[in-house]
Amino acid sequence: MRFAAERRDFFQVLCQCPQHKQAAHYARSSWPAWMPRLAFEPARRGVRGDVLVVVFLRGAADALNIVVPHGEPTYYTNRPTLAIPRPDDRKASENSRAVDLEGFFGLHPAMAPLLPAWQEGHLAVVHACGAPDDSRSHFKAMELMERGLADLGGPASGWINRHLASLDTGNSSPLRAIGFGEAAPRSLRGVIPVSALRSIAEFHLGGEPEIAGMLKGGLAALYSGDDLLAGIGRETLRILETVEQLDPQGYRPESGLPAYPASDFGAALRQVAMLVRADVGLEVAAIDLGGWDTHFAQGASDGLMAGLLADLAGGLSALHADLAGSLNRLTVVVMTEFGRRVQENASLGTDHGHGSLMLLLGGSVEGGRVHGSWPGLSQGQLFGPGDLAVTTDYREVLAEVCRKRLNNPAVDQIFPGFAPGRAGFVR
Amino acid sequence: MDRRQFLRLAGSVAAGAGVAACSPLYRQLSGLPGPSQAWPSISLADFRGLSRLTYGPLPAERTQILKNGLAAWIEEQLSPAGIQDEGVEWRLRPLDALWLGADSLSSWEAEDVILQLQQGALLRQVYSRRQLLERMVEFWTDHFNITVRKGDGWFLKPADDREVIRAHALGDFGELLWSSAHSPAMLVYLDNQANLKEAPNENYARELLELHTLGVEAGYTQQDVMELARCLTGWTVKRHFWGGQFRFDADLHDPGSKRPLGLQIQPEGQREAERVLQRLAEHPATALRLARKLVRRFVTEQDDGSAAALAKRAALALQKTNGSIAGMLRVVLLDGLAGTQTIWGPKMKRPVDVVASALRLLSADTDGGEALQQALQAMGQPPFQWPTPDGPPDDSPFWSTNLLPRWNFAIALARNEMKGTRLDLPALLGPLAPPDPQAALDTLEELLLGVPLGPAERDSLLAALGEGAGQDPAGLPSLVTAGLLASPAFQWR
Repeated sequence: MRFAAERRDFFQVLCQCPQHKQAAHYARSSWPAWMPRLAFEPARRGVRGDVLVVVFLRGAADALNIVVPHGEPTYYTNRPTLAIPRPDDRKASENSRAVDLEGFFGLHPAMAPLLPAWQEGHLAVVHACGAPDDSRSHFKAMELMERGLADLGGPASGWINRHLASLDTGNSSPLRAIGFGEAAPRSLRGVIPVSALRSIAEFHLGGEPEIAGMLKGGLAALYSGDDLLAGIGRETLRILETVEQLDPQGYRPESGLPAYPASDFGAALRQVAMLVRADVGLEVAAIDLGGWDTHFAQGASDGLMAGLLADLAGGLSALHADLAGSLNRLTVVVMTEFGRRVQENASLGTDHGHGSLMLLLGGSVEGGRVHGSWPGLSQGQLFGPGDLAVTTDYREVLAEVCRKRLNNPAVDQIFPGFAPGRAGFVR
Repeated sequence: MDRRQFLRLAGSVAAGAGVAACSPLYRQLSGLPGPSQAWPSISLADFRGLSRLTYGPLPAERTQILKNGLAAWIEEQLSPAGIQDEGVEWRLRPLDALWLGADSLSSWEAEDVILQLQQGALLRQVYSRRQLLERMVEFWTDHFNITVRKGDGWFLKPADDREVIRAHALGDFGELLWSSAHSPAMLVYLDNQANLKEAPNENYARELLELHTLGVEAGYTQQDVMELARCLTGWTVKRHFWGGQFRFDADLHDPGSKRPLGLQIQPEGQREAERVLQRLAEHPATALRLARKLVRRFVTEQDDGSAAALAKRAALALQKTNGSIAGMLRVVLLDGLAGTQTIWGPKMKRPVDVVASALRLLSADTDGGEALQQALQAMGQPPFQWPTPDGPPDDSPFWSTNLLPRWNFAIALARNEMKGTRLDLPALLGPLAPPDPQAALDTLEELLLGVPLGPAERDSLLAALGEGAGQDPAGLPSLVTAGLLASPAFQWR
């Protein structure tokens, strides 16, 4: 062996244990003591609930142009260029007008594909919804929201991971929680090992099958520790096995249904649908949609943001149609870190604001309604230098989803320091 | 042979049809070790320190540490100009985009420029002898993040990489900040070229305060952001005939007086924001924030008393030396890594670390090209493409959730299935005939991990791979290499 004798002594001294076996264990499991370990506390048992799909609009989406308060005159005086025309505005072309929802609010025209879901009572809006944080910093706001906290002290884990850790549904599937993309979002990270994946069809170990087979054996040996990385490694191997039994390329939604958009978002939602139908134990899927930081040339009924909304609405409506038979066990939540200023800036965009909105889609949603208490957009009703106020804390909505749709009453662990008061967003 | 002759020879060697055919000369030029060279054993602490400071500790570096110690090596690396680096320079010569200005590059294909930029970065990480400089280039590239995927970024970033980041990486922070603020790539990325007196755009002003200098906890207000944005109106980029140069347009500039961060700024055109930049560079909150990031990057992610104390000392050093980045870094590295009581803590390798350290430690011959860049993308860190201004995170849990692409990279590299990259495992392992699994594993462990695997792990790894040995003995080294590259131990540094 060519290793310096002093190195072995180093291990022994550090571990304060004479056995070489222990020293080697240190060398192998170098997971630092202060980082999350695999959960070993028994969680509360419960029946599995809905499949939860969390869609995070990254960049602070402009809520006022997604669900438009067309009944509010100050919306129009503040946005001479960016406002979406009223549903009855004859001077505007028909397909540029807001699609009326209930007389005061309307959908951005690019969101029209979601109108059937609204009419069937499967789509709910919570407006003037958001978080207490007013830093208007993307990074701070996202971190707090994904950790489910009001300030930076508190658990480093994500709220979804705390939900998974506090409820034992008897589900040992490696696909219990998935982040779509190259990294799982913070909301999903914590003591329960979670993987990111981009594409189920491409989720296989490279090389010829015999090589892959041999390496899988080697990897299982290497990832056998009790630290979180070993846990993630083992889950990855189990996902590889599970995926082999699926046929992702062969999955086609029923003909006649709206097609998923040909975007990463559409692909992610199609895979969610496939996993739901294949009944492989998916409980949570997290999907990010970026590009919402529209400081500049945001566009109104057409343009930059309209394109993003077309992708969002196209994907969600395709999912809604594709899983029509399973809607009573699906809850989709759409959220963003904060909203944007009421007044447009002179770059034809909007700057960072405060209040935003959440969308809920599913068979047990109290749909066909705009929830929350509308604070108004007049001078005295705004927050800070001109932002929509927050009248519903985002955790009210998520706490109720956890309790009623995910059968997890441990909201005090999921959202520490928060006492839910409101209800009525889901059944 | 003088430098010009050397470069001409290097050029002709590079242009030659089979570089590998000129093996000995090529190895000397590229700085690769010769075959079956004895790998000097160093202490675990030094291996870990070197793994932070380099993209993988090579034999020459290990030898130097054994001779002079880590502190002396750090000191040498803090003055990169004194380190000869022809080995990497001739590999970079074909990458013309690295040397061109925005106006020339704008007529290129975007994908070609982006690929060359990425190749340049990876080749330097793998082959440069100025390893600490390259680590700091990576640090500042993240800190002053710009994505080439937004707008004109792709033809503006090469000049930024050269004249902002590389020129000042171990220089003066005030000059680095100044240079970044005047950089067309940065102004366009954060929309400041659209920051006009009648149409103020806060994006750059906000990130300048939040990410580049003070930090969100320093106590500045929304009003400060808006006032700084007003100072920065008119800071734009020449558009005529694909200019791509910085330009202050007085017509677009807000002429009033401003009050950002408690500073009374009189109307003075371009000088207004420049005054604020100077104050930001010298502000103690900036120094502390930079020091904390450096401690996190080089020493430990654990946020405890010792790390905080180290950051404080480093921040003071920045202020005492009037902005010397090397001065601040010296404190972080000597106290944090080279002292007898280091507070070193493990860090998960980011994708760039995985790829660069694998190539470097296995003495790969590579062009840094597409196959590797695709691997980096699959792992989540395609260089120069992080979309948000905070840059790719320096956070171990973030990088831990996507193992499969790392495993696939390990397999492809070890089996020489990546176009443009070649491993010569037989040469690396020395003359071992027939290939002895134990010896192969020993050698590779030492190279790649610096520590042995545990006996239980190595036995089961050999058992799992040993079946392949029966069928294909020659393929065993590459299987063992793949296994080690994919192992948990290789994911740490």
